[in-house]
Amino acid sequence: MTTQQILVWKDTLKKVSEIIQKAKDSTVCYCVDYDIPSNIKVKEGMITVSGKTFVVRFKISSIKPYENQQGCIFKKKDNPRTCIEISKAEEIQEDIVKYEELSGMSIEKIDTYSILRPKEEIKIELKENPLDKLDPEVKSTYDLALKIGYNLPINICKDLVTVKKKYNVSEKDYHELIKATAEKYMENLVDPYEAVGIVGAQSIGEPGTQMTMRTFHFAGIAEMDVTLGLPRLIEIVDARKTPSTPSMTIYLDEKIRNNEEKARELASKIETTTITDIADLEVNTTEMYVKIILDKEKLKERNLQKEEITSKLKKMKLQKYEIEEDGYEIKITLDEPSYKKLYNLSESLKSLQVKGVPKIRRAIVKYDDKKKEWVIYTQGSNLPAVLEMDGIDFARTKTNDIMEIAETLGIEAARQAIIDESISTLQEAGLHTDTRHLMLVADIMTYDGTVQAIGRHGVSGKKASVLARAAFEITSKHLLNAGLIGEVDKLNGVAENIIVGQPITLGTGAVNLIYKRGD
Amino acid sequence: MSAEISKGIKEIKFALLSPDEIRKMSAVKVITPDTYDDDGYPIEKGLMDLAMGTIEPGLKCKTCGGKVDTCPGHFGHIELALPVIHIGFTKEIYSILNATCANCGRIRLNEEAIKEYKERINAIKSKLVDVEYDDIVSEAESEASDISICPYCHFENRKITLEKPTTFREEGRKLTPKEIRERFEKILDDDLVLLGLEPGVARPEWMILTVFPVPPVNVRPTITLETGERSEDDLTHKLVDIIRINQRLRENRDQGSPQLIIEDLWELLQYHATTYFDNQTPGVPPAKHRSGRSLKTLVQRLKGKEGRFRSNLSGKRVNFSARTVISPEPFLSVNQVGVPIKAARELTVTETVTEHNIEKIKEMIRNSVNADESSEYRPAVNYVIKEDNKRMKVTDKNANELADKLQLGWKVERQLQDGDIVLFNRQPSLHRMSMMAHEVKVLPYRTFRFNVAVCTPYNADFDGDEMNLHVLQSQEARAEAEILMKVQENFLSPRFGGPIMGAIHDHITAMFLLTFRNRKIPKELGIHILSYVNVDKLPPVHKDDKGREYFLGREIFSAILPEGVNITFKGKINDKTIDPDGTEGLVIIKDSKLISGAIDENAVGTMKGILLDYIIRKYGNARAAKFLDDVTRLAAGVISYIGFSTGIDDEDVPLQAKAQLREVGLEAVRRVEKLIENYKEGLIGPEPGKTLEDTLESLIMKELSKAREKSSEIASNYLGIENSTVKMAKSGARANMTNLAQMAGIIGQQSIRGKRQHRGYTGRTLSHFKKGDLGAYARGFVTSSYKEGLKPTEYFFHAVGGREGLVDTAVRTSRSGYMQRRLINALEDLKVSEERSVVDTEESIIQLVYGEDGVDPSRSFGGKSVDVEFVLKEKFGDKYGGEKQ
Repeated sequence: MTTQQILVWKDTLKKVSEIIQKAKDSTVCYCVDYDIPSNIKVKEGMITVSGKTFVVRFKISSIKPYENQQGCIFKKKDNPRTCIEISKAEEIQEDIVKYEELSGMSIEKIDTYSILRPKEEIKIELKENPLDKLDPEVKSTYDLALKIGYNLPINICKDLVTVKKKYNVSEKDYHELIKATAEKYMENLVDPYEAVGIVGAQSIGEPGTQMTMRTFHFAGIAEMDVTLGLPRLIEIVDARKTPSTPSMTIYLDEKIRNNEEKARELASKIETTTITDIADLEVNTTEMYVKIILDKEKLKERNLQKEEITSKLKKMKLQKYEIEEDGYEIKITLDEPSYKKLYNLSESLKSLQVKGVPKIRRAIVKYDDKKKEWVIYTQGSNLPAVLEMDGIDFARTKTNDIMEIAETLGIEAARQAIIDESISTLQEAGLHTDTRHLMLVADIMTYDGTVQAIGRHGVSGKKASVLARAAFEITSKHLLNAGLIGEVDKLNGVAENIIVGQPITLGTGAVNLIYKRGD
Repeated sequence: MSAEISKGIKEIKFALLSPDEIRKMSAVKVITPDTYDDDGYPIEKGLMDLAMGTIEPGLKCKTCGGKVDTCPGHFGHIELALPVIHIGFTKEIYSILNATCANCGRIRLNEEAIKEYKERINAIKSKLVDVEYDDIVSEAESEASDISICPYCHFENRKITLEKPTTFREEGRKLTPKEIRERFEKILDDDLVLLGLEPGVARPEWMILTVFPVPPVNVRPTITLETGERSEDDLTHKLVDIIRINQRLRENRDQGSPQLIIEDLWELLQYHATTYFDNQTPGVPPAKHRSGRSLKTLVQRLKGKEGRFRSNLSGKRVNFSARTVISPEPFLSVNQVGVPIKAARELTVTETVTEHNIEKIKEMIRNSVNADESSEYRPAVNYVIKEDNKRMKVTDKNANELADKLQLGWKVERQLQDGDIVLFNRQPSLHRMSMMAHEVKVLPYRTFRFNVAVCTPYNADFDGDEMNLHVLQSQEARAEAEILMKVQENFLSPRFGGPIMGAIHDHITAMFLLTFRNRKIPKELGIHILSYVNVDKLPPVHKDDKGREYFLGREIFSAILPEGVNITFKGKINDKTIDPDGTEGLVIIKDSKLISGAIDENAVGTMKGILLDYIIRKYGNARAAKFLDDVTRLAAGVISYIGFSTGIDDEDVPLQAKAQLREVGLEAVRRVEKLIENYKEGLIGPEPGKTLEDTLESLIMKELSKAREKSSEIASNYLGIENSTVKMAKSGARANMTNLAQMAGIIGQQSIRGKRQHRGYTGRTLSHFKKGDLGAYARGFVTSSYKEGLKPTEYFFHAVGGREGLVDTAVRTSRSGYMQRRLINALEDLKVSEERSVVDTEESIIQLVYGEDGVDPSRSFGGKSVDVEFVLKEKFGDKYGGEKQ
């Protein structure tokens, strides 16, 4: 445990890369538009780009008030206040901002700056070698194959082990089996220049015609509607901001997994409760007050105390109102009579959330017969908030909101979510599609680090070729713009070459045979 | 093949045309707004001037001297009296106006900022940072527009607004295109990068037109109607307008007419120029044809599904193709396609005469004499092409003469013959199996015919479907098609790594009839059946106690299996009543002998066929194709000799069953009534998170679906495997037990959007019911069966449900079609690199290893990289056969 302090702040990516560039040769001055107390002595700093992960670490040689220095990198144009001299900057592998290390500061505050005291210096750790986690038998199979000269995928090694066990294969034969399997594997590899993209797109598009349009389907639980079928598939591919029916499956940790009571308790904590759920509102226009009549039974049902509600009410911006309590009735009187204000008051009371996680409208507890445990299903999704709650199983809890996953857990998680969601959608419709195709779609949607839609606003709009873009949608805009910037179409893709009437660059069109005539 | 050197296009560069360039490439300055004179001859300096090319066969182009087929067309130009704005660039003009200084023409940014932006632009050019150029430009422009005082000449710029579509105002004062152009001329080439223009390719002032290019005549051909009346192209109409107004504007300007008149004319010219480019510009009334139809101008020509790009460039019309209705033909191999003689005589393959084929070709040319009259199809020759590329049609008269004259090196266009490789396609072409290569088999009559096992990949049926056929023209194409596209090469679908082709419908029924309970088939009948397939050895003949000779069904089936088949799998039958000891459901094949089990959908059906899959993987595509051919032929034999039919009486159930079924329906109705009663009395509490009404609905729905299940159960209890319909359902040939139950028992709840019917009149669905009636009948529960017939209200609800299905299909096809188009567009350029990673056109890596294991899904085993068990059995045979099961 060191007491070393680290300065943390947020910046946009372009400035960060600039700092790194410049810091290579010399000391750089980085100016920010706020004061940093002079009594703080820090030697290191970290920059986060998104507020979620750190991307740059650097050495700070000094922090001083800003004077009109030359060659500074400004964070904000106006009004620089402090100048941080940076002697060395390096890009680091993305390191997740740890909430507890921010000494209670919420992530928004990093926007300005904050001093954090880590328990220990943040280390860049190599991701663990996936091979180390393997079952020893699988590992030995893998090593055996490696010895013969084949780098077998893990899933084949696993299959080998299961087959070995199932048929009791002798050790000597097992070696031969590995060899034969590896040879078969080499045979099964894709050919170079195979048009995997088109095959993938067809393999997802073709079953689309066979799917039902029936938007809603009861996914396991009768109480909850979830979009399925073609609309859901389109939604995934579109990378919509929010799905039409966001929902979460919340698994619970070992302690309360088998305890129905505790599970229900947690569910009631998650479900949002508004005033209207637990009370009747009475608006009195003659005496200008709003009366909240609490329903005792409903309170009990939702595990709420009266005090919780009154404290929530007090937190509302109600300075100008007067709150009177009388048993289970709460009367809020206006200071000055105004119908508009009365209306506003009653409206804001109606939507006042007294309990629960925002955006989650409903939480239902259900026993999963297969997994033998209690699970909470929700309508509405709020992954970051739910993940912070106690009693949930961090690793298995999931949501169908892909963008939310991308924001909270990062792009790799989003990729996996796209694959999982599309597979389950297809499977629900009774269609079998190879994972590889869905992986490809997920990868093209996420390979640049953000979730891009399949369509003119995403992947297709960013194609290198003018002709390909023009042929897809909004023809004239692309052509006119190409003229302005003197764009050059290199004719590398499929659509372009078809347009100009040449063989395409995939498959047999990608190779040329030169025939040398023997004399 | 001749030694042609084909030129390739390596890249295409886009740029703006400068006025000078337009003049330079112009063949004529067009000044007359007319096209042809009274004799129909193009007017000089008119819009159809011969210098711009010709569209009339007799005339020669003045510029290049070529005729219709050789002249590529040449541009002309119109000198505009006053400049007009190009409608496609208004946004750019607007932002440039606001980002530059009106006085000195510099971008309103200080040197430092300019340097910074330029660095960033250079950075993206060398592909370091992933930011779009457009974003930097708009950032620079917005920063510049925030600075009103020019950092260079300290001129105070005023805010310029764009009044759509083409009017610019500087604090209320209208800026004429001329003024804008003058301002733009002052902009330095160095600043252009920051404004989103590439120096040397585009200049801002070129976005304001002073010279108008006139496209060549063959871009806008005159159409001569049958009546001899001429009709000009829409573009020509528009150009006429532009020239007319331009002339008037010039005259008025030269005469010094009042400013107001000039401005009006100028605006009119702007309107014509705008609509010439885009006749759907928002805020501009579209230019109309005399008949009232709006004109199709440049943008309209390119845009959309019917536009040049999607209709003519991405998709092209072809020769050597045919289209007709399809029909089934079990005696054709899966690899073949039956082509009607009529089509075969029209479709040709070009062949070069060599010393190896000259005799054959001479023979074929001679076949041309009275070809249609010969009883047998013999391919003839349609055209003979001499060495100088002169084509000569082969007729009855000259055929023999041509055959004698035929020389080496000539080419002939030969009619289709058996064994030619053709592509066969059915739209919509949703996957690559929608277009496969077949071998031609010329047949009489007028339809294309093929083996029904190929219906599934094409998604074809024979209710009037039509398909297309393309004849390949080059040796390379034929080789490629045969190796990659032949039907047998596509048995395994890349979608799920299993067989997509296989037996369907009657073929499954036939296989089932043959093998179920090891049917005894009298010897004579068996010989007839076996005559349908080519087998070397007859299956053993058995004798029953009366001395009658018979074959066993399973042994007949075993005759078509390849040698060495050893496989055990579960069949579709999984029903204790039909199959008490489980021998029918478990298929065991040992040494190519079917020992137990019935051959059904799970063995040879499409998508499922386990046996088929096994044969494809173990014996290869060619053997599998033979097996499939044999299955179809055998099926045809079996079903014709054993016979199979189904009718309405298949759904007859005993009276007792009928009573039971009726009781199920009534019981359900009663239970629903009870539920409603309970609900009215408040005995039902809401389920969590649901209203009381929804809870009731879901309870009722549960009750009603239970009723249908029960009726299905009763129906299947009374209908045994001896029933034809049950045979079909159980073997997986067609239909399922629910369909049967609906015919014999009760149809069940008719739903819309997963709910009971509820719309219609206030409080009720139909006027036959009381308001507020929530009962089963009132909400679309059908207790009748299809066989009995439906009551009027039931019939109506059934129609409602049926309509939903139809609407659903219609909506679905369009939606999924668009999704697939987008998917294809996004993924079309991806390919596997030589290192087996997936890369796009810019060589960016999308996946390091394709699909995480690099395995081709069509070679995978249902998605698995390698079928280890299969490898084990192949390697060690029976040694490890004794699995622990």
